[in-house]
Amino acid sequence: MIKHFKQLATAMACLTVMAVTPSQAQDVKVGALYPFSGGLALLGDESFRGVEMAVEERNTSGGINGKKITLLKADAVDANQAVGEARRLTSVENVSAIFGSYASGVSSAATQVTELAGVPYFELGAVADTITGRGFKYLFRSNATAKSFADRSIESIVKVIAPNLKIDPKALKIAIIYEDGPYGTLVGGFQKEEAKRLGLNVVETQAYSAKSVDLSSLVLRLKGSGADVVLQTSYQNDTLLFFRQSASAGFKPKAVIGAGGGYSLQETAQALGTSIEGIFNVDFPQVTMKEDGAPGLKNFVAAYQKRYGVQPRSGHSLVNYVGAKAFLDVMVEAKSTDKDKIRSAVLSYKKPVGSSAAGWGFQFGENGQNQLASSNLMQWQGGKLLTVFPESVATAKPIAAK
Amino acid sequence: MGVAVSIFIQLLVNGLLLGGAYAIISIGLTLIFGVVRVVNFAHGEFLMIGMYAVWLLAQHAGLHPYASALLVAVLLFVLGALMQRLVIQPLLTADAHIQIFATVGVSTALLNLALMLFGADIRKAEVTLGTEPLTLGSLTFVSGQVITFVVAIAVATGMHLFLKHTYTGRAFRALAQNRVSAALMGVNVNKSYVLAFGIGAGLVGLAAGLLAVQYPAFPTVGQYFVLTAFVIVVLGGMGSLPGAVIGSIFIGLIDSLAGYYVGPALKEVVYFLVFLAILIVRPTGLFGLGRGSE
Repeated sequence: MIKHFKQLATAMACLTVMAVTPSQAQDVKVGALYPFSGGLALLGDESFRGVEMAVEERNTSGGINGKKITLLKADAVDANQAVGEARRLTSVENVSAIFGSYASGVSSAATQVTELAGVPYFELGAVADTITGRGFKYLFRSNATAKSFADRSIESIVKVIAPNLKIDPKALKIAIIYEDGPYGTLVGGFQKEEAKRLGLNVVETQAYSAKSVDLSSLVLRLKGSGADVVLQTSYQNDTLLFFRQSASAGFKPKAVIGAGGGYSLQETAQALGTSIEGIFNVDFPQVTMKEDGAPGLKNFVAAYQKRYGVQPRSGHSLVNYVGAKAFLDVMVEAKSTDKDKIRSAVLSYKKPVGSSAAGWGFQFGENGQNQLASSNLMQWQGGKLLTVFPESVATAKPIAAK
Repeated sequence: MGVAVSIFIQLLVNGLLLGGAYAIISIGLTLIFGVVRVVNFAHGEFLMIGMYAVWLLAQHAGLHPYASALLVAVLLFVLGALMQRLVIQPLLTADAHIQIFATVGVSTALLNLALMLFGADIRKAEVTLGTEPLTLGSLTFVSGQVITFVVAIAVATGMHLFLKHTYTGRAFRALAQNRVSAALMGVNVNKSYVLAFGIGAGLVGLAAGLLAVQYPAFPTVGQYFVLTAFVIVVLGGMGSLPGAVIGSIFIGLIDSLAGYYVGPALKEVVYFLVFLAILIVRPTGLFGLGRGSE
């Protein structure tokens, strides 16, 4: 009896394999390369959810030209793992394209492999400008970069903060401080350039180690320079340290603008208590912004809640969703998984600003970078991070300095 | 001129108070370094555990960090004693680098455990006592920093007296000088090591309670402090308590002055240069035991 059962089971298994194999051969396999473990896991996973939603949505509406998309997850917590996983996806799994990667270090390393293998890589979240600055042909990025963060923060001084304070922007003394890792150095450097280009008065530019346990000397320097506006690019602990030591030294700038990182997180706000009130921050579009300039945002949030049972944990899912959706459109229009056909489809893909759920448009440069992606200015008001600029997506008016 | 002088004095005060924070961490480290002769790379993670414990006690039992400091010190004492008994003691006769790898292993394991349990976010207890800004003329500082400084000096003095005048203290010093001879003189080596490691770790628990008023808990918080603490301990002379305190104040002052006059990006360059220069002149550190010790 048991023997018969075994035979039956084997036969069934064979049938199942035979039934499944032909349809799998027709599937379009794509990779999703993110940090799914380690310190970056939370936001890596949040980013992945955006891709997952975009792929599922596409599959229910017919997939890519009738073919179902299968998404293969690859865990890359650092550059080494990124290389290994990119190799696996391109040479073992033979994926048609890879989506990634949240972290710039992961993206830089993985794309070196995919470029050589001739597999298109769609970057949806890493911000380092250098990623698309290497002349790669099959690397495309939908999201805004560090330069956009920097430019938006300087623009905010001119268009939001100075008018609110009723001061000529050139009369404001600006201090630029940043943690001395790749993130801070990149944003801080672009801020310096942009401020110089606009002829603004930068009185201090200082880098510091994010592992510093004391920033009191830096605060004294800023206080001595009479800085009105402080731009800080930082993680959590150094944000906290800067605020605490500014308060104890009696340093009260008219405005402080962060650049994502520590400034965006609810935990920082909790630790800072009331002193976060009125603080500005430039970051990726958030799910709380206004729908007018971001059609489809409400649907996205509703679909997310239905799919995962919680509110989006950050804006990362949104920007990854919007980017993945655009690149899936591109793959449909390319009518092929050939790398050169995909490249020409990317370059001819155009959507105006304000047409996606992140408020972004799409128009790709020769380097593969989307030129119509931007970041927004937000302000902590009543314990919440509200979008205040640009107006098309703003849900609150910026409040002038205390 | 008035402004420049008042800024200079403010920098000195800031440096002195920062030195207090470093001292409270370095005292425990130098004790373990000096007595057990183990470079404890998990020292920073002990601090991290202490800070999470303080935060949890504040969150769930409503205890002020200062109130939970002693409780956490006891917890860390147990943890340190266990580490000595279970990890270091079996490796006592092994090469020094094996012991170092063992402590690095413990450090990495604890760090990732914290990452798993609490995530990478910062956690801070909301308190008022210890965070009030104080002013004295044109000088400003925070009450918690002063408290930390005073406690650090008191603890260092207490430890110094303990080492000089008690039997256990003398046993510790004998072990620091020569493990084998101390054993021949009737010192229970293993028991003393467990005790010394426990006390060293317990002092970090105390530090956690004091520092939690100003710094949040997060998985890598220990590493922020402990690299500097290593520099301080080597600079002051391994195992020397006065060395640890004076080294802390010295590094605190350099940090503060270089951060202002040279620039925050270069302050570490400055104190590592000073560190190198001192080691070249005095290889055993400012208060080192000299070449005679083991």
